[in-house]
Amino acid sequence: MKYAFWPGCVARGAAPELYKSTLAVAEHIGIELVELDAAACTGAGIISDGDPFLADTLNARTLAMAEQMDLPLMDICSTCVGVHSLAQEKLGNADYRAQINQRLAPEGLSYEGSVEPRHLLWILLEDLEAGKLNHLITTPLTELNLGPFYGCYILRPERVLGFDKQPHRRRSLEAAIELVGATSVTYDGMTKCCGFPILTTNKKNSLTMAGTHLGEAQDKGADALVTPCPLCHLNLDAQQADAARVIKRKLDLPILHIPQLIGLAMGIEPEKLGLNRHVVNTKPLLEKAGI
Amino acid sequence: MPQQTFVIDRYDPVEDRAYEQEFSVDYEAGETVLDCLNMIRWDQDGTLSLRMSCRHAICGSCAIKINGRSGLACQTQVPAAAERGNPIHIGPQGNQTVIKDLVVDTDKFMRQFDRAQTWLKPFEGQEPPAREYRQDKDDFDHWQHASTCIHCGACYSDCTVASVDPKFLGPAALAKAYRFVMDSRDSQRQERLEKLSRMEGGIWDCTRCFMCVEACPKDVLPMDAIMELRTEAIKAGVTNNHGSRHSKAFAGGVKKRGRLDEATLPILSAGVRPGAIPEMLGYTPGAIRLLKSRKLLVAARRHGASKEGKQQIKRIFDEVEDAKHHHDVNRAAFSTHYAEALEG
Repeated sequence: MKYAFWPGCVARGAAPELYKSTLAVAEHIGIELVELDAAACTGAGIISDGDPFLADTLNARTLAMAEQMDLPLMDICSTCVGVHSLAQEKLGNADYRAQINQRLAPEGLSYEGSVEPRHLLWILLEDLEAGKLNHLITTPLTELNLGPFYGCYILRPERVLGFDKQPHRRRSLEAAIELVGATSVTYDGMTKCCGFPILTTNKKNSLTMAGTHLGEAQDKGADALVTPCPLCHLNLDAQQADAARVIKRKLDLPILHIPQLIGLAMGIEPEKLGLNRHVVNTKPLLEKAGI
Repeated sequence: MPQQTFVIDRYDPVEDRAYEQEFSVDYEAGETVLDCLNMIRWDQDGTLSLRMSCRHAICGSCAIKINGRSGLACQTQVPAAAERGNPIHIGPQGNQTVIKDLVVDTDKFMRQFDRAQTWLKPFEGQEPPAREYRQDKDDFDHWQHASTCIHCGACYSDCTVASVDPKFLGPAALAKAYRFVMDSRDSQRQERLEKLSRMEGGIWDCTRCFMCVEACPKDVLPMDAIMELRTEAIKAGVTNNHGSRHSKAFAGGVKKRGRLDEATLPILSAGVRPGAIPEMLGYTPGAIRLLKSRKLLVAARRHGASKEGKQQIKRIFDEVEDAKHHHDVNRAAFSTHYAEALEG
């Protein structure tokens, strides 16, 4: 199994534990990753505020790189998957693609439109031979109650995310939580916005969102949340103390990235998954899990 | 005849009592969630209150929550609803006060249109035409999606910002505002863009969560309209606000390094203005926590694209900035829904 691997900026920046745990889990399963070193940030929907054509060109370039390598694309960030998928929809228009390809030509690239952007979470559930993943779960996390935190871009808009062909993607996080033997906790906020996109423009609204979802999950008995998005992770983990202050209640909920969840259940050491690099202490969670 | 079970969120204002109630209905293929709710009212419990009128998705009265997502009861087939949760959970719209059962007070939602001033403001001194103010087709095609709103409130009901901030204009009013910004018959384009950028609850408060796009029964694509308003505002030079500074700083970082520059983004977004220093200090506790977990060190090391990658990315930025020909990218035109609607 070999993938063109786009880590995104946050996994190579403020959430290095996501990058580290992805590599650890890929190695453990036997997945080969070819990192797209020359690719650009997706723009996270923000570059397109100023210039949609520019953002689409940068993303077409990344997709063209995967296409040229003849490898399926793997994202590990929901926001990247969402922005790549929206770009992919627009690039389905041949005239638009031709305009953009003019900008890619000097680099010897041209995008023909064949790439399906996918998240590591989907890839684990879709590409591995039946039973292989189950077989690798050597340390089931049966003691843990885990809340899925989807955020937005891995769920919406459905029309660009392949849900018609892969309806299981609607509950991919619950599937991952069940796969590792933990109990999935259902709560209202699990499909809502974490607030991160407006952290700098409207901090109060942003942290009210994060705090509300964290508090609700905590009240429903979650020991931790699991998220496929490093931006959600920043608002839920790094900003958790501020969110608690804004909503005036106590919060103490570790937030796990997907490869950390899978890696723990595969018996990979917590340090190799970067669990010592979180803002909210993960030690009590690991103790409860018996690790 | 298939049978379907519904769990309905009920509210009795006289007793001030909220409760769930379960009903089972035999329905025929082709009957909608609204048909079932009517059968419940007629045959099982006449006290169940809901709004409805046209029964063919044009009056916008019957928007409710169906398995947690807002939509029109008359447009939702029973098996499609059951696929997302069985029994089917029915509730009133969110972000508004419940009057009784499935009926909410829509006043807060409707007032947002007044705040956004969503009506045509013609050019002064212009001789009124003999008949209507005509619109040409190209112009109309560009914002047609935003003109199909039926004010059902489904988008507002699911809006993640409206749930924490009653001042947010919300998807429907902003999509309607977009419609007038883009309408060549309107005289207030610049003023509207300035107001919508500046006012509390304006275009920069949207989280881009896509809830409204999913909830809308008429493919208005409200969020796309909000994003286009941002692009139009920046294009029109309305840039003295946090949102557009953030966008510019974000793009500037990517142009230089090929990747998001977490180290300088908050400083550049805050801008040179009164209030920038208190804003920066507001981030200090978060930054200290990141520093403790050694995260900021990694961010400060500022990972970038490869050397060749950086050169190509910078080239694309320069070329695209030079060529202004593409600036009429209509996001909505690329959505499969909208493209099909236009062709149809």
